Amino acid sequence: MKSGIWPPLALGVGLIAAWEIYVRLAGIDALLLPPPSAVARYATENAGVLVSNGAATLSELLLGFAIGVIIGLCLGVLMQIWRWFRRAAYPWLVATQMVPIPAVAPILVLWFGFTIVPKAATVALMSFFPVAVNTVDGLSSVNPELIRLLRTFGAGPWKVMSMAAFPAALPRIFSGVRVAMALSVVGAVVGEWVGSTHGLGYLMLHFENRGETAGLFATVAVLTVMGIILFFLVGWAEDWAISWRRHAKETL
Amino acid sequence: MRVRGVARTYRDGTRAVTALEGTDMDVPDGKFVTIVGPSACGKSTLLNLFCGLDTPDSGSIETPALGTGMLLGRVGYMPQQDLLMPWRTVTDNATVGLECLGCDRGEARERAREHMVRFGLHGFELSYPGQLSGGMRQRVAMLRTFLCGRRINLLDEPFGKLDAMTRASMQTWLLDYWQENRCTIVFVTHDIDEALFLSDVVHLMSPRPGRIIRSLDVDVARPRKYGEVVTSVHFNELKACLLESLGRSL
Repeated sequence: MKSGIWPPLALGVGLIAAWEIYVRLAGIDALLLPPPSAVARYATENAGVLVSNGAATLSELLLGFAIGVIIGLCLGVLMQIWRWFRRAAYPWLVATQMVPIPAVAPILVLWFGFTIVPKAATVALMSFFPVAVNTVDGLSSVNPELIRLLRTFGAGPWKVMSMAAFPAALPRIFSGVRVAMALSVVGAVVGEWVGSTHGLGYLMLHFENRGETAGLFATVAVLTVMGIILFFLVGWAEDWAISWRRHAKETL
Repeated sequence: MRVRGVARTYRDGTRAVTALEGTDMDVPDGKFVTIVGPSACGKSTLLNLFCGLDTPDSGSIETPALGTGMLLGRVGYMPQQDLLMPWRTVTDNATVGLECLGCDRGEARERAREHMVRFGLHGFELSYPGQLSGGMRQRVAMLRTFLCGRRINLLDEPFGKLDAMTRASMQTWLLDYWQENRCTIVFVTHDIDEALFLSDVVHLMSPRPGRIIRSLDVDVARPRKYGEVVTSVHFNELKACLLESLGRSL
């Protein structure tokens, strides 16, 4: 994995260089497309603003993500234990994902005001779904013979769940959590667009209205870096939680 | 264990498959009993009934040694697949049965460690199943079953996937272990040599629908040595007897 960082880094540097050269040679208006150097200059000059607003977005995102993952896990486990609950709830869970989030977010603001709650709720609403779906699929992927064996040892449903189904489902669950993390970044920004007084989403609207395109690009850049770091943190947690996979591969 | 007139039919799609029909057999307490028969003759169905995972359509299974009540959770069972959990170490796989019985994890590990040398797993306590050979995986699975200390243990073709040489040494090993820790063993196999070498009693099953067509006492003194027993004249007489019965039923 260590050498894996160089190819994407080289590609990124190449693209940014091409962008800079194109803007300069073609003489594009900086209001439409500022060169990367201008964006970088803006970012360093206004680092304080970006960091404080980034922190606001990060806290909304993490709160909503945590709630979403916990709700997703609980729903997944309950759907696996109670088949009737799965049949009853599944279509409605799908329905929550069909409702456009920008349409729901204003209602949340109406209910909870310009606080952290509507943003965290938006994030949770988007992130719980992939976790729930992957948890159900992962839990039902356990070898039925293993469940039968545990029953001959006298294990009840909870023991079967904690000893066999949950560990077997962990790789799937983490796939869901990774998708949830990616969606959380979008959710936090959408939540802020609808009603907020700070945060990176708010900052984007602010720069857009004032025609400060360089600021807008700098904000997007900060958001992107934050999202990438969070995504890889989840991957790191996954490697830690499923460390046995390394041993399993050693002999193959 | 007394089995009388046990029948079991299950549905396979729209077809009704009679796996067992009028099966009678006795499993004397503390004996090594083998059920031998061709593939798909209902051997595994019979074991599922013995360990309480399934119930017979008709007939009775009495286990005076265990008293009355549900069989599930009271009879030791080792399935064909080793079913080791790849996320648990050798020690922690061996303790699965004890943990299900409500044993404290630390204490269960302690008891598993005491058996590592006897089961040839010493030095591999912290290895993962993916790092073990087929024979070692089977010994972990067997330790998991025997650690529960059940009076009756059902072993479903435990050596079926092993190569012939590993198999012979595992058979000898199992007999030694059984001689030290007398319990009732019901061993299922499709290998007549294996059945005769290991058992006190061999029950021969017919092809589907399965039932016991021949029960044979194996009057060979213990302890048995593999090379001596399987090449002896008496062993071959018994084998001819079983093959003849099997031939007539086909």
